This record gives sequence, C-alpha cells and structure tokens, in this order.
Amino acid sequence: MDILASLWAGFSVAALPINLALIIGGCFAGTLIGALPGLGPVNGVAILIPLTFAFGLDATSSMILLSAVYYGCMYGGRISAIMLNIPGDEPAIMTTLDGYPMAKKGQAADALAISGVASFIGATLATVGLTLFAPMLAKAAIYFGPADYFALYVMAFATIGGITGSDPRKTLLAALLGLMLGTVGLDPSTGVARYTFGSFHLYDGFDAIVALVGLFAISEILFFLEGKAQSSGLVPPGRVFPRLSRVKEGLGASLRGSVIGFIAGILPGAGASLGAVMSYSAEKRISDKGSFGQGDPRGVAAPEAGNNAASGGALIPMLTLGVPGSGTTAVMLAMLISLNIQPGPLLFQRSPDLVWGLVAALYLANVVLLVLNLPLIGMFTRVLGLPVWGLMPLVVAISYLGVYAITHAAFDLLVMVGFGILGFVLRKLDFSLVPVVLGLLLGMDMENNLRRALSISGGDFTILVQSPIALTIYVLTGGFLVLSLYLSRRDRSRTLD
Amino acid sequence: MTDRLAGTFFFLLAAGYVWLSAGYTAGFGDPLGPAIFPRVIGIPMMILGLSLAIWPRHNASWSDAGGLLRQAAAIGLLLGYALLLEPLGFVPSSFAAILGLSLMMGAPPIKGLLTAAIAAPGLYLLFDRVMGLPLPLIGTWFT
Repeated sequence: MDILASLWAGFSVAALPINLALIIGGCFAGTLIGALPGLGPVNGVAILIPLTFAFGLDATSSMILLSAVYYGCMYGGRISAIMLNIPGDEPAIMTTLDGYPMAKKGQAADALAISGVASFIGATLATVGLTLFAPMLAKAAIYFGPADYFALYVMAFATIGGITGSDPRKTLLAALLGLMLGTVGLDPSTGVARYTFGSFHLYDGFDAIVALVGLFAISEILFFLEGKAQSSGLVPPGRVFPRLSRVKEGLGASLRGSVIGFIAGILPGAGASLGAVMSYSAEKRISDKGSFGQGDPRGVAAPEAGNNAASGGALIPMLTLGVPGSGTTAVMLAMLISLNIQPGPLLFQRSPDLVWGLVAALYLANVVLLVLNLPLIGMFTRVLGLPVWGLMPLVVAISYLGVYAITHAAFDLLVMVGFGILGFVLRKLDFSLVPVVLGLLLGMDMENNLRRALSISGGDFTILVQSPIALTIYVLTGGFLVLSLYLSRRDRSRTLD
Repeated sequence: MTDRLAGTFFFLLAAGYVWLSAGYTAGFGDPLGPAIFPRVIGIPMMILGLSLAIWPRHNASWSDAGGLLRQAAAIGLLLGYALLLEPLGFVPSSFAAILGLSLMMGAPPIKGLLTAAIAAPGLYLLFDRVMGLPLPLIGTWFT
C-alpha cells in the first residue's frame, strides 16, 4: 500500500501548475520533435537540457519536462513513419513496415489511430510496471557495495554493445573512448590534473551537457549536409476519421507488444529500438498469415506498443541503479548528475518527490499525449511539410544559446562543435554514440567505486569478484554477451539471405 | 579501409594515453592512484584498436565532393559562430549563421534571408526578454 500512498503524493507534485504546464508543453514539443525526420528523442532532449538549466527549473520539474518530451517523441516518431515512410526517429523504423502500406491504401487515419492507441497502451503499461518494479529494485540495490557497482558498470558497457551495435568491438571502443574523455580534468581523490595539457579550461573536465549537445545535435547538422535529402512523398490522408473496428484489431497485438517492449527496455543498453524490433517480430511469428508488410493493423500496433513500453522500461535501471537503459535516458542521467542528484537506490529515499512526481507526471503525460495524438493529429501531419532548411539552422541557434546560457564561455561552444565533429565521424565509421556518452558520464563514478573497493581490501583486486552480487552480475553479463553474439550472427545470416 | 584507419588511430590514441598516465603519481592513502584507471581503460583499447586494424569489417562511404565541401564549410561556419558570438553579439552572429546554414541546406535565397531575419531577433526576444536567459544583444566590438 505504500506504493499507492507514494503515488498519491507524487500526483500532488505533478499537479502543481508549473509541472502541469511543463507536461503539456513537453508532450507537444516531444510529439513535434518525434514527428520531424532527423530529430529524435536524444537530440530533442539534448537541446532542451541547457535550457532547463538556464531557466533554473528544479530537478523535479526538469525531469518531468524531459520525460514528457521523451514520451512525446515516441508517439511522434510514428507520424512520419506512416505518412512519409521515413521514421521520425530510430525506434519508428519498424512502424514503416506496415504503417506506410496502410497509408498508401488510403487508411492513414486508421493507421495513425491504431498506432496512437497502441502507443498509449504500451506507455501506460510500462508506467504501471515502473510504479511496481522500480521500488523493489531500489530496495534490493541498497545492498550493493562498491565492488558490486563496479560490476554493474562493467555490465552496462559490455551489454550495451552487443545489442545495439553491428560490431561489438566498436561499441566497446566507443565506451572506452567515453571513459577516456571522462578522465580529463582534476582527479577527484588526489587532485592531480590529468590530460589537461596545461589548459585551465579543461581542469573541470568536459561538461557532459556540452558534449551531449555537440554529439547529438551538431553532428546531425553535418549529416544533413550529406546532400541526400529525400523529397518527401506525403501521402494524402485518405478518409478523415479512423474506424473503431480497425483500432480494435490492434488491441491484442498492443498488449503483447507492450510486455515484450517493457522487458527489452529494462535490459541495460537495449532501449526502444530493440523493443520495437522484438515486438514486431514476435507478433509476426504469432499472427502473420501473409498480410504483414502489406498494411496489417497488428503490424502497426505491435512495434508502436513495443517502443513506447520500452522507453518506460528504460527509466527503471536509470532511476534505481543509475545505469541508463537507452540513449535518451543516458542524456537524462547526465542532467541529474549535473544537478548534483545521484540516481541510484538512495534516490527513492532521499528524493521521493522527484521519483514519485515523475512517475505521476508520466501517467498524466500519457493522457495528454492520447488527446494530442488522436483528435489533433492533423496539426502534426501538417508540420511534416516544413522544409528542413528552415528547421535545422534554428536547432543550431538554440543549441548555441542554450550552451552559452549555462556556461557563458565561448570555449565551451568550441568544445561543443568539436564533439559534433567527433560524433559525425564516429557515426560515419559505424560507431554508436550512446556508449561514448555512458562512458563520459559514468567514468568518474566507476573509478571512484573501484578505488573504494580497493581501499576496503587494501589493494587486493580479488575483492572485485568476492561478493555474490558482483558474481551474479558478471554471470548475467556473460549471458547477455552470448545472447547478443547469437542475435548478431542470426541477423547477419538473415540479411545475407 | 576506414576500419583499419580507425583501429590504428584508436591504438595510437590509447598508447599515448597509457604512456602519459605514467606521469601521474600521488602520495599516500590512495591504493589505486591516478594512473591505474587510465591503464585499465587504455590497455583493452589498444588491443581492440589493433584487432580492428587487423580484421576490419566495415567501410564507410563518404558523400561526394559537393557534400564534403558543404560539410567543411558548415564546420567553418559553426566554429566562426562560436568565436564571434561574444564579439558580434547574439543577434548579428545568429543572423549570419542561420542564413549561411539554410543556404547550405538548399533554401531559396530570399526565403533563407527572411528566415534568418525573423529568427535571429525572434530567438533573442523569446529567450532573453520573455524567458529571461541573459544573451548578449550586441557584442563587445560595438560597445
């Protein structure tokens, strides 16, 4: 029952006028960002973070805003997937498979309604799951010692790769590069300046926020200039009102997709894209009779429920363990750390207002999003006609003013551009950026836990494998790695077929 | 080919990183010291970089000459924007940056000019005046 009491207290936080306004604004902005091709949840949230700082929002309100944007993006990504056959963000790729064929058949309104309802079901079930499981996990995680945390970080880095990247070596390299960048600056426990090359600007290390905006927003600009801008073949919406009977066809698939997506979301490093892929392929195996890929409503419902459920699930490891489950939650983690709030098991005791206010806000955000995405969907489809050249330069200007407003230093703008170039080159070379961010964020904590563990043992490295919790985590890590190797083998042999 | 280059680069980077770590020493009380963690990171990185250089798997395709030129120009513009934001002020520098980027992305000149002319002061008004973020309206060169 104390979950219900805490949730009730959370609603009283979320219902404050400022937070309600942030929920509505965030949902609207999120749907828009998600719908626009090229801007996904990670870029959207990365651009907004400097602004939340500059406006002096407190941690709870900032988290509510960012989570509303995050959920909104997951709803919005489907719009361009269905109307343009271009996924608005990465997890929406699977929605194009059946969504665009439906739109071509003149059933765009149906497809949008089915996917809107599926998104709602997925996100709501995931939020319920978050409410139930996160406190349990947080209670268990209180027993973690430094060696166990070190093991947890090893797991985060080892597993993020196999699942997201094409080449596991590259993901590990990316994570190591992030850890390496994280060691720049004054060493926290001894005060030695490491890798600063005499520059006083670097004594504080790289600001994670500046790095994030560069890696995600600026590198996206360079990608746009590749010059392969597709001309948008916007499908005429066909009939205006969706048919309820078609929406019902997707309900079963939505429920199944939600469960699968939620589990995928909890796995560290998997995130929403994997949730969508797994839900779609499971649904295809269960109910495909040759109609999948040609505009089957279940093929629209399953991946949408899956990616929304996964994004809710991804918040669980981020809040309870301080280990993010996806790129966007990694960005949110960066914000919490910059506000001097350490996510992890103690967060539930120290800042119940933040945790439960956030959970309650997610319930409200889902309702807001359902309203925005069913009756008001026409407004968002019209946005897809906006030209890229009008939009991306504004993204640049907002990134600059956001970063400048928090640091007031032109040097940090140069660092941001530097990270933008780095992000572009890494993505061209098929390196994923999420491990870089994780490394940069978690590096200092990982080192501190290693040091703490070794000062307990007096320098004996075997302490790292003595605790049963750490051992369990290492075994799980091994299991994940084997599974991901198997999955990448299977995918490769499939693409060769 | 790009994998070989990337692997070599990572190997050299990690080798330099580990080599520099030797210079970081601290006195008592800390069993690990500031040099061990960089080695914990750097040595696996050297191995992985080497393996990528020996067994590459992926070859990146770059855009055509026009695209590369545009990207180089954009990087120049972004760096210039960063350096000139303070001396020129937010509105003039943003006007130039938005105009330049929108033209690079294929905006018709008049429309690009209009976008920049509306957006640069618009963003200033919205964020500085309405929302209270202090931004330099006119830079140090003019005052």
